[in-house]
Amino acid sequence: MTRVLAPVSGRVVGLAGVPDPVFAQAMVGPGTAVDPERAPGHALAPVTGTIVKLHPHAYVVVDGEGHGVLVHLGIDTVQLKGEGFELLAAEGDAVTAGQPLVGWNPAAIEAGGRSPICAVVALDANADALSDVVESGEVDKGAELFTWS
Amino acid sequence: MTQRNVKIESKVGLHARPAAMFVQTAARAAGDVTVAKRGGGDPVNAKSILSVLGLDARHGEEIVISADGDGADALLDELEALLSKPEPEQA
Repeated sequence: MTRVLAPVSGRVVGLAGVPDPVFAQAMVGPGTAVDPERAPGHALAPVTGTIVKLHPHAYVVVDGEGHGVLVHLGIDTVQLKGEGFELLAAEGDAVTAGQPLVGWNPAAIEAGGRSPICAVVALDANADALSDVVESGEVDKGAELFTWS
Repeated sequence: MTQRNVKIESKVGLHARPAAMFVQTAARAAGDVTVAKRGGGDPVNAKSILSVLGLDARHGEEIVISADGDGADALLDELEALLSKPEPEQA
């Protein structure tokens, strides 16, 4: 079983709260989303495992069970081409859940006209493999968002 | 096994949004569907979003998609159409 942790602090809005239909309709996969605090901070590894993909605006960590979790920092943030993001780790790194991976500023993303909402998605998972999915309320980074069996 | 070389026109490459569409389409096929970067790299399962995101195919790169069985050609047509769309820089 994989415990998936919040990469950022903020208000949980669920995938339905992501202003992008591909995420909102769970086409990328099931999961949840967090509207982050508008302050500079770090986005954390959601699970302990290996970073298989690290873009400034998005990353995937795969744990020992082969469960891959995508964290997507904001919507349409690929357009920023890395500006405003600081990589704190590298692809292939072994990381611990809660370890900072990317430095960013959600307030700056929002000021640029984009949503800073972070989708946290279980890749190649059926929705019924997820339990205790948090879909509302405030969350502190590092707190559990869902479990994946 | 039917194969097709396709150049990725999506500005963001084969990432979040195009990747999700690609995988959903591939997943409807009964047989195996794989995708590889042209000129190197092992083919990965095109029905796995984790594998497709891990492939990290970018705008302008060529990939090879392969499918088995009945309807392979039609499926490859559909996948090619998805990748050939120069869709806006989103997700």
